[in-house]
Amino acid sequence: MSNLGTALLIGLVGFIGPLDFAIGSNMLNRPIILGPLVGLVLGNLTQGIIIGASLELVFMGAISVGAYLPPDVIVGGVLGTAFAITLGKGVGAAIAIAMPIAMLSLAIGNLTSVIFPAIAHIGDRYAKEGKPGGITASMWGIGLIECTRRGILCFLGYYAGSAGMKALLNVIPQNIIDGLQVAANMLPAIGFAILLEMIINKTILPYFFLGFLLSAYLKVPVLGVALFGLIIVIVKFHSDKKQTVLTTSTSTKEDTNYDDDF
Amino acid sequence: MTTISKENKITNKDLRQIMWRSLPMEFGWNYERQMHLAFAYMMAPLMKKLYHKNQKEYTESLERQMEFFNCTPQLVPFIGGVVASMEEKNSEDKDFDVSTISAIKTALMGPLSGIGDSLFLGTLRVLAVGVAASLSMKGSILGPILFLLIYNIPAYLVRYFGVKAGYSMGTSYLDKIQKSGLMDKFKEAAGILGVMVIGAMTQNMVVVKVVAKFGTGKTATSLQSVLDSILPGVLSLLVLYIFYVLNKKKINVLWQLLGATIIGVLLTVWGVLGV
Repeated sequence: MSNLGTALLIGLVGFIGPLDFAIGSNMLNRPIILGPLVGLVLGNLTQGIIIGASLELVFMGAISVGAYLPPDVIVGGVLGTAFAITLGKGVGAAIAIAMPIAMLSLAIGNLTSVIFPAIAHIGDRYAKEGKPGGITASMWGIGLIECTRRGILCFLGYYAGSAGMKALLNVIPQNIIDGLQVAANMLPAIGFAILLEMIINKTILPYFFLGFLLSAYLKVPVLGVALFGLIIVIVKFHSDKKQTVLTTSTSTKEDTNYDDDF
Repeated sequence: MTTISKENKITNKDLRQIMWRSLPMEFGWNYERQMHLAFAYMMAPLMKKLYHKNQKEYTESLERQMEFFNCTPQLVPFIGGVVASMEEKNSEDKDFDVSTISAIKTALMGPLSGIGDSLFLGTLRVLAVGVAASLSMKGSILGPILFLLIYNIPAYLVRYFGVKAGYSMGTSYLDKIQKSGLMDKFKEAAGILGVMVIGAMTQNMVVVKVVAKFGTGKTATSLQSVLDSILPGVLSLLVLYIFYVLNKKKINVLWQLLGATIIGVLLTVWGVLGV
């Protein structure tokens, strides 16, 4: 097969990898799965399986937990496996190639993701009109741009070779890439601000700061903060209860029950 | 445990639909409200069913589903079930306070993310890789297959039973709360939990880092270390407050986004902020 044809197929693997997010986040986009697919494209399934598994172990920690966005394992893994097989250099080469490419792809991803919230706001407009189809379309719009971006990167990366990928990295100034990341890290605050406006009132405002301070000074994880909150709620409403004498034994029991679960 | 009776508007079929529609939860992810589009996609048909008689209620319910959302995907059907029970209550009871729905949703998503991430990403995934990698290293196709099975069978079981558990838990507690006249207290409790979780998430997830230093040479002190010694994450609080005020003033969110992006890039280029 021609180089162009192979590159297109590699691009296709990079495109369908992130499609896994549309069908249930089944871990189909991990190197241990995409590696064999790349191997299949390049006619060496066994090497694909082996290199994929090695990359899986290397990228074990690269998974999005909470707000942390890891290097792009999909593009890094696909191209790392592909170059390692075609160059015949094995696992070591795959790891050496995959890491910088994964970082590069994350940076480019930050660049393109700037427009995503704007697409999401098209969804808001349709929600206002009672047309959920527009919400679905916005979701797919963002998702497919992500798939396409990764597909194109894998295609171009394979076609241009690793030297070409490095040249691409040098086109965008580093401080712009960093700046977009800085801005992106602030954006969840918009979502939180909107949520706060919905829920907050003067009586419960101190509890917002309590949550913040528990996390800031004591490094309590979010789950821990919620459990502390649960105790506060239980204690607070039980002492309220003692002051209002009118409660019956059954409602006290129910009170405890709902506190346990929410 | 409440059994789902005939008079309830939500059927098992609706709950199954929520489960299936939870699948694209990480699709359409964006920095601002993260999984909100997928959450709204998941809940939309039920909103139609519950509020179809009143266009205003229907559109409001859709907008409600578009609020910030983020959680481990496999645990989302559980939250979907809880939200479904509350939306159902809201559609029947005119006095129901909808802000309770947002509060409960928020109070659930933070902690469940913590549990879900450590369960699925921290434990199950690592276990699956551990078992599969040794087979894969020998070049066996059983490796990838086993990896998928070990991870996904529990994942789908949690989704399937989660939505039902969430719904029946939601309805049974809501009924009890309503009968005992504790709705106001419930609302306050939900609010307390909700804002505490938002407080913790603001500290965790809104990251602002100053790289500027004052002084020169060896005596230069980084501003960030000074801020951290006072209150770690104080700038996240400031950023949240700015957005809060802008929202109160009804500034279009798109302008807020654009402004934040431009300011973020400028402050980075000038060497004030960094990653």
